[in-house]
Amino acid sequence: MSVAVKPETAPYLEAFRTQEGNAAEPDWLLDRRAAALKQFAALGFPTRRDEPWRFTNLALLSRATFPPALASKPEKHRLALEPYLVSQAAHRIVLVNGYVVSALSPIGRLPKGVWLGSTTRAIAERKDLALAGYDERDTTAAQPFASLNGALFSDGFVLALAPGAVLDAPVEIIHVGHAGAQSVHPRSAVIAGPGSKATLIETFYGSGGAWTNSVLRIELGAKASLDHVRIQDELPDAIHFGVTRARLERGARYDGFTLTTGARLSRQDVQVTIEGEGAHCGVNGAYLLRGEQEATTATVIDHAAPGATTREVFKGVIEDRAHGVFLGRIAVRPGADKTDAHQLNRNLLLSPRAAVDTKPELEILADDVKCSHGATVGDLDEAALFYLRSRGIDEAAARRMLIEAFATDAIETAVSVGELRAHLCRRLGIWLEQSGSA
Amino acid sequence: MLDIKSLHATVGEGTDAKEILRGIDLSVGAGEVHAIMGPNGSGKSTLAGVLAGRPGYTVTSGKVLYEGRDLLALAADERARQGIFLAFQYPVEIPGVNNMYFLRSALNAVRKSRGENELDAGQFLKAVREKLKLLDIGEDLLQRAVNVGFSGGEKKRNEIFQMAMLEPRLAILDETDSGLDIDALRVVATGVNRLRDPKRSIVLITHYQRLLEYIEPDRVHVLGGGKILQSGDKSLALELEKRGYAHLGSAA
Repeated sequence: MSVAVKPETAPYLEAFRTQEGNAAEPDWLLDRRAAALKQFAALGFPTRRDEPWRFTNLALLSRATFPPALASKPEKHRLALEPYLVSQAAHRIVLVNGYVVSALSPIGRLPKGVWLGSTTRAIAERKDLALAGYDERDTTAAQPFASLNGALFSDGFVLALAPGAVLDAPVEIIHVGHAGAQSVHPRSAVIAGPGSKATLIETFYGSGGAWTNSVLRIELGAKASLDHVRIQDELPDAIHFGVTRARLERGARYDGFTLTTGARLSRQDVQVTIEGEGAHCGVNGAYLLRGEQEATTATVIDHAAPGATTREVFKGVIEDRAHGVFLGRIAVRPGADKTDAHQLNRNLLLSPRAAVDTKPELEILADDVKCSHGATVGDLDEAALFYLRSRGIDEAAARRMLIEAFATDAIETAVSVGELRAHLCRRLGIWLEQSGSA
Repeated sequence: MLDIKSLHATVGEGTDAKEILRGIDLSVGAGEVHAIMGPNGSGKSTLAGVLAGRPGYTVTSGKVLYEGRDLLALAADERARQGIFLAFQYPVEIPGVNNMYFLRSALNAVRKSRGENELDAGQFLKAVREKLKLLDIGEDLLQRAVNVGFSGGEKKRNEIFQMAMLEPRLAILDETDSGLDIDALRVVATGVNRLRDPKRSIVLITHYQRLLEYIEPDRVHVLGGGKILQSGDKSLALELEKRGYAHLGSAA
């Protein structure tokens, strides 16, 4: 059978062929890379005719070719890491262009039962972890860029927790793009055994121009618990795609928060499959956009087991000519009775040319469920604005106060770890400092 | 202090514009307390809104001089920094904005424009505690978001507390008595009385004479149909209480 190859994929197929030669990788991995590449070649780039990409303009990506970036080891002082560091006590890994830089990665002392290291090290030393982090969707799902990542990925991190292992200090992963017009493909995994607990902060930023295409797999065993913050603050000429695929077993708890402030074109997919009874899934975030930025947040929460809860709130603040897209889908499958799922998307449009497309979706095929969804798009509250001004606060400061309140609310209701909350509020403050509409 | 001359104002836009104020003349001297009374729809709240710079009104003719300057040329926040304060009939709830943070920002904006130094958190707290006693407000109220979850009485007390903090030279109290029970009214009135000062003018806008039993005005004006129909001393309020607004109807 001959498989169709979409022409726009050709440069990446070529890149794969040249990369293959220098990889002394095990056969099982090469096979998986090849299968993922085949899927990418067959799928090609999405177009606006594909419903999940209907609102996204991919011209920026398809106009140019982004060859995979090579490992680079810039001097630390040139990376300007400091503003992105969250915790002194953190177990930290820094990746530059998708490759772990050991000299910049003070992993520190890990408690018993915790494994943290690069994806390449996991492949070499812990095949079990590397395999567990692999995803069959690379070859089955209609997510071409995740499949491309499966073929071309450079490195990433793996965090594995044995049953009952508790990691008190957060794990900080910092992805620095230093690549120019190249592509960066990190692939990572969190494998949390039953009853384990961890906190993970991922930050993406860089020197601009590059296309980051990241994939993270999260496996939470029974009653495992993960707090996860993802910050995307790439420069305004970057492209950023990120896919997070999580699977939750019985009684597991996942609380994720994403803050999107960067990239010219970005899309993040968060896909959570609830396979165990009574699991909890928190998928929340904020996107703060200005200039010509276009950012899509696409979430799919799949309730395949009964008695689980989902809490999802995304807030958007959009100014200038920026464009935000929210695609939120919650599916409750047959038998997932007593599901309790609520989704809300609220947007502030701060200029006449700012735009948002929002599409909340509920599909319910079970009984006795409590589900709701909603979306709002609006301007700042005029009455509140006048109230603040009537007390002497000038218009710019009053607007800033209301925007900050709107976004802070999303952070405070969703993020329970104080250190993370404070860091997110700090990042929000930095964004507001640069605001033209506030 | 405040001189209003033949003030006309409309609400709404274009063909929907409706004239509410139809030639208000009013003069309030420094340190005086004036009560403006009138039935619903007489233009009381519109007058308060126009003076404070609330959006939605258009002044079509007339003048307002505040300390000799053209008040209407100033933006709402500039008026506040120049010493004008409006106590809202319906204080606005602002989720997510902490009451303390809000008030400190406001106070520092006002202080800065007066050429005074801004207060740091410690100095601010000290100032707050002095004024809180004035109005029997618990400190917990300040930790909450602005007016969110406040009872009607708490909201009104919070307005007068803000007035105490900002120390305006002209305070306009828009139906501060509405929705208050007798105990809450007494607390609010006591607070206002303590803020009476030879350098501070107060305009009390009210529907009922009740408030004036606690805050004694120097002058009372009756507003009807967008005009001042009658002015007098405090005995005018008592007369209105007995005879109602109805007998003024023909003049309005």
